[in-house]
Amino acid sequence: MAELTPEMNQTLLENLRNIAKEGFRNAARGFADMIGNELSVWNPDVRAIPITEIPEMLGGPENDAVAIYLRMTGEVSGQIVLVIPYDKALEMCDLVLEQPYGTTQNLGTLERSALAEVGNLAGTFFMNAMAEITGITARPSPPAVMVDMVGSILDVVVSTMGDVGSQVMLFQSTFMAGERHTQADFWVIPDTFTVEKLGQHVKGKHG
Amino acid sequence: MANHLAVGLGEIKVSRDLSDVLVAFGLGSCVGVGMYDPGTHVAGLLHAVLPINNDASEEFQAKYADTGIRLLLDMVLKAGAVRSRIVVKMAGGANMLTAPGFTNSFDIGSRNITSARNTLKELGFRLASEEVGGQTGRTVRLYVPDGRMTIRMMGGQEREF
Repeated sequence: MAELTPEMNQTLLENLRNIAKEGFRNAARGFADMIGNELSVWNPDVRAIPITEIPEMLGGPENDAVAIYLRMTGEVSGQIVLVIPYDKALEMCDLVLEQPYGTTQNLGTLERSALAEVGNLAGTFFMNAMAEITGITARPSPPAVMVDMVGSILDVVVSTMGDVGSQVMLFQSTFMAGERHTQADFWVIPDTFTVEKLGQHVKGKHG
Repeated sequence: MANHLAVGLGEIKVSRDLSDVLVAFGLGSCVGVGMYDPGTHVAGLLHAVLPINNDASEEFQAKYADTGIRLLLDMVLKAGAVRSRIVVKMAGGANMLTAPGFTNSFDIGSRNITSARNTLKELGFRLASEEVGGQTGRTVRLYVPDGRMTIRMMGGQEREF
């Protein structure tokens, strides 16, 4: 198992921040085109955190949320998850479907499809940025939409990692759509064995 | 007032304090296995992430259903439970990803359930009750005073199983 040592984390994190920044900016651009609205990216960052701390970062494991989930496969592999608190997801539907706030009351087929498209766009644009910076290419799977408790959504992420490393690399950012304050956390969780590869590629290019 | 002890991913909590409630929040594909001895009020709850521990490393035993259940049994016995009285219940193991292309390769929930059932059988335990499978996450509680186990799903009410 490729365990992430503190020293390795340090170097990797610095290198991966470049990908994060550019990737998130790119994703926001794609998303903004879709909704026809300016979108700003707040605090793009990469962190290595213990798995067990993830639920608390989303306000507790029992909070209701929507996750749009994609696998990336190719030279690097991993998971991309757009996590949105449930009420914010309803607002996001209104935004994407160009309806007044409060119109969407629950998530039917149309709403889920709209959210899937949001995740799809964000994920694809992120991977494009990664390819530009590192030369590493990856393909996204079709998006899956999960509506459930935060803890349950994270179960998928953690169990898919397979080897249950003690830490995960978390690319995190918040997107704000103008005054409507639509907000989502965008997580990219590379499989443990590909993290090192990503870091090396970035280092080769910039360092 | 009840004292909630959270059982995180890959953790086990054991208690015989009558003011405690053991809780595994938002179990998705994970399984929660509870053991309870009504005689001594020793309660233990496991929150297992994956079905089978292939390298049997000491450190992560509780993250896997097979080694986790054995560790849970050891821990409740050490805390004073009498093996012949232990009641076992299980919840969780949902299949969260149901989009086309995900279903088969990601059905970790079902594999967790199978692994847990097999391990319990090997140890000679029969499940008194279970709330498993489906496509929805569950919060699982084990009440130390009476061994009652409950689940709650998103937007739903807590109910005993």
